[in-house]
Order: sequence, then structure tokens, then C-alpha cells
Amino acid sequence: MTEGRLGRIWRQVAEQAAGRSGQVSAGDVCAAVVPGVQVTGAWLSAARGAEAGHLMRVTNDVSERLAELQLTLGEGPSLDASASGNPALASDLADGEAGFRWPAFTPAAYAVGAAAVFAFPLAIGAIRAGVLGLYRDRAGPLSDFQLGDALVFADTATLLLLDAQERAATGPGGQPAGLALHRAEIDQATGMLTEQLGVSITDAFTRLRAYAYANDLRLADVARDIVGHRLRLPPDPDLSLGDEP
Amino acid sequence: MDGQLLSETFVELTDTMVADFDVIDFLHVLTSRSVELLNVSAAGLLLADPRGELRVVAASSEAARLLELFQLQSDEGPCLDCFRSGRPVTATDLSTEERWPRFADAAGQAGFAAVQALPMRLREQVIGALNLFRAAPGEFDAISVRVGQAMADVATIGLLHERSMRRSDILNEQLQTALNSRVIIEQAKGKLAERLGIDVNQAFTLLRDQARNHNQRLSDLARAFVDGTQPVTGPVSGARQRRPGAGRPRPGPPPVA
Repeated sequence: MTEGRLGRIWRQVAEQAAGRSGQVSAGDVCAAVVPGVQVTGAWLSAARGAEAGHLMRVTNDVSERLAELQLTLGEGPSLDASASGNPALASDLADGEAGFRWPAFTPAAYAVGAAAVFAFPLAIGAIRAGVLGLYRDRAGPLSDFQLGDALVFADTATLLLLDAQERAATGPGGQPAGLALHRAEIDQATGMLTEQLGVSITDAFTRLRAYAYANDLRLADVARDIVGHRLRLPPDPDLSLGDEP
Repeated sequence: MDGQLLSETFVELTDTMVADFDVIDFLHVLTSRSVELLNVSAAGLLLADPRGELRVVAASSEAARLLELFQLQSDEGPCLDCFRSGRPVTATDLSTEERWPRFADAAGQAGFAAVQALPMRLREQVIGALNLFRAAPGEFDAISVRVGQAMADVATIGLLHERSMRRSDILNEQLQTALNSRVIIEQAKGKLAERLGIDVNQAFTLLRDQARNHNQRLSDLARAFVDGTQPVTGPVSGARQRRPGAGRPRPGPPPVA
């Protein structure tokens, strides 16, 4: 992933926070993604597991209706994204496929003004933080570029939600640490920490990031040391210093 | 070439519409069958993440996985050239290779002397690349290359489903599912390795074997294990495990990545 894309999207999110003079939160991602990938509206719900979670932010009435409809009807792209941990993309609610997948939600969503719906899980592997939903009032897929951006918006929201849950450290400039990285070592180290510390995968990831931030180390380097058994994090979450070799 | 295994492989690779289709399992099948059928030592597979990077999603051995990672990290190598050009790329003797000096060194250290990279593409869209590695230098046999490309093509079409209206939605869902499943599997490998005091590759083999023995998707088992809702036990002795739905037990080592 290019730093340019990350930086550009982070600035769009941070501008939303600056506009309301607040700290950057996942809700700002919800607001920024709408112009960012040219959709009509967005909603964001937070959840720590595969459940629907609670609605944190909507950008307009239709978004709110779409989120509510899914809870009422018990089906829809957001719920699928939550349950499966994978995106649910329907670029044309009228194409028959969507109606087959969500027989109750599809006509109801169409009736309230949505023609395309895209739901992205806010997840890193088994770590789950919620769902970001997008809709358009005209049918049509996200372009490859918009899809890439939408995924990075979702990654940003994921880390901001995890930070909000755990008050974990953020990286330089307030940008969540670890955004740029898809490294197997980070995922493996997170899995190892769940065992070492006896905590959930979400808490293990938070501890890993907090340690890297507190010690001014790169996440990938800390992860590599943990996987290589050169570093163990202390069990007490209030201590940010580990046993350096 | 084993004709029966070849035809079974194509059946497996076209069997993507079933309810329990697991894209990671599917891509592992592609890399393992490549090794079994194509007279190569190892195979690795990269897919494009729409975020703007290539990612390793399957490999037939740890050495192949590391070599794919090395290409991504050093930003050079046949798989990258193949992906960027959408055309096959061949290096028949890496000891004299000048296009990718760092890759050639790393490949030599990993015990590979020749490489063939095949694009996964449908018309203009390149979604990834399949890399075949051989321990001995020399030309790749033309029939193997054609069969390898055919397997990559069938796999690509399988991922795309080739249904016009929903194609981009389905492809993007599948790609993200593959990439996220990869993350879950790495998390599960770490947790299991730590729990049992084994290395992450042994952990992968245990996860893979248990998924096969229980007719469970690898990514489902990995997720359940990480979530703490399903245990993973030690090695199972006895007969070689089979892939659910496969026609007969397979020869050859299990994939490692």
C-alpha cells in the first residue's frame, strides 16, 4: 500500500475532526468516506464480535434507515459483513442477485432510496471492531480506485475503534500505528500474545501496538522480535515496557 | 504427467460454486497441485489487494512463501514483473540472472535455480500471479508451462465467477475474503505455535490437518481457534488426510504456508 494513499485518506478523516474541533474518531471516517469514494451516505456500527453491534454514526436519514432496516429484518449486507468478517458488495440492488441474497432487505432498501450498498467489516483477521456501510442512490460499482480507498477508510476506522475501546496509543501525528502494514509477522505475533498474556486477540493487538508506540519502535520490528522469541511483553497491561534482550 | 490427477485437479479448480467454497483452500490446492503435476519444486501465489499492494496468499512450501515475501519487500522479481506486465516471465538459470540481482541471490540461498511466473488474468484484468520454482536450472517443459497457465486461468475464472453483472462485486468479495482469511490463519498459527511450543509452520500443518479431518474450512477453524471457541489438538497419526470432496487421497507433502 502506498504511503500516499494512507496519508491522503488520513488527512480527509482528520479534516472532519478539525471541522468539529474534536479528536479524530471512527465517526469522522464515516463522514469522510462519503465524499472520499463518492457515495451518497454511510453508517458505522461498532461491535466486538460477529453481532450487529451498536450504530455509532450515520451521515443522513437514508443511511440510518438502511442500518435500522437490517436490524429489523435480521438480514442485509452489514449483518453479513459482521457475521462473516468479509465485505458484502451489491452494486445494483435491482439486479436480482441482491434480492436473492437479501429477499426482505433489498426491496426495503430500494424503497428508501438506495440503489447500491457496500458493507465492509472493520476487522483485522479475527479482530473485529464493527462495520462500515456505504450506499449510493444510483446503481454502479465502486471503481477499483474507490474500492482501494474504501478499504483504507475501513482500516482507519478499525484502528480508531480499537483505540477508543482500549485507549491504546496512537502513532505520530495521531495517525493510528500499524495502518500501513500487512505483515504475517504482525498477525503471528498477535496470535502468540493471546497465549502469552492470556487475553483476547483484540487485546493482544492493542498491547502489541501500545508497546511499539511507547518504545518508539516499528510495529513490524516488535512483531519480528516476538515471533523470534527475543522479546516477551509483560503480563501487566499498565506496564508499557517489556524485557528488552 | 499424471492424467488422472490432472483431470481431478481441473474438477477441483472449477468447483467454486459450492456452498462451502473457501478461497484460501482453493488457492492452496492450486499451489500444491502445481507442484504435484508440473515437475517443479515449489509454487507460490500473489494476489493484488485493491488497497494497492500485492500479498502472498498461498505457497506450497515455507521457502516459496518467504521468497514471495522477499520479492514484495525488495520490490523486484519475476512474479512482480509478471503481474505488472500481465505476461509470463521465465528465468531458466538464476545464477546468471541480471534482471533481479537481489531476488536471484535470495532464490539461490533458498535452493531454487529456475523460476517461471504465470499471470492470473482475465482479458485486461490481472488479479495476481503464480510462481513456479525449480531446484535445477534449465528450460521449463513447454507442456508443463501450458498446463500451469491453464490451471492459473481456470483458477482466475473461478475467482471471478464470470457472471457479468456481479463480477466485480464477487471478485472483490473473494479477494478480500482471501486476504482476510490469510490474516486469520497467521493469527491462528501464532497462537497455536505459542500454545504447543512448536514453530509456525508446524502449527499451520496441524491446523490444515485438523480442518481436513473434520471437513471444515481452514479459515473457519482458524477463526474459531483464535476466538477460543474450538481447540486444535496435536498431530493425528494414521492414514493420510484427504481434502473434503476430493476423489482420492493425494500424494505429495501438505502445503506449508
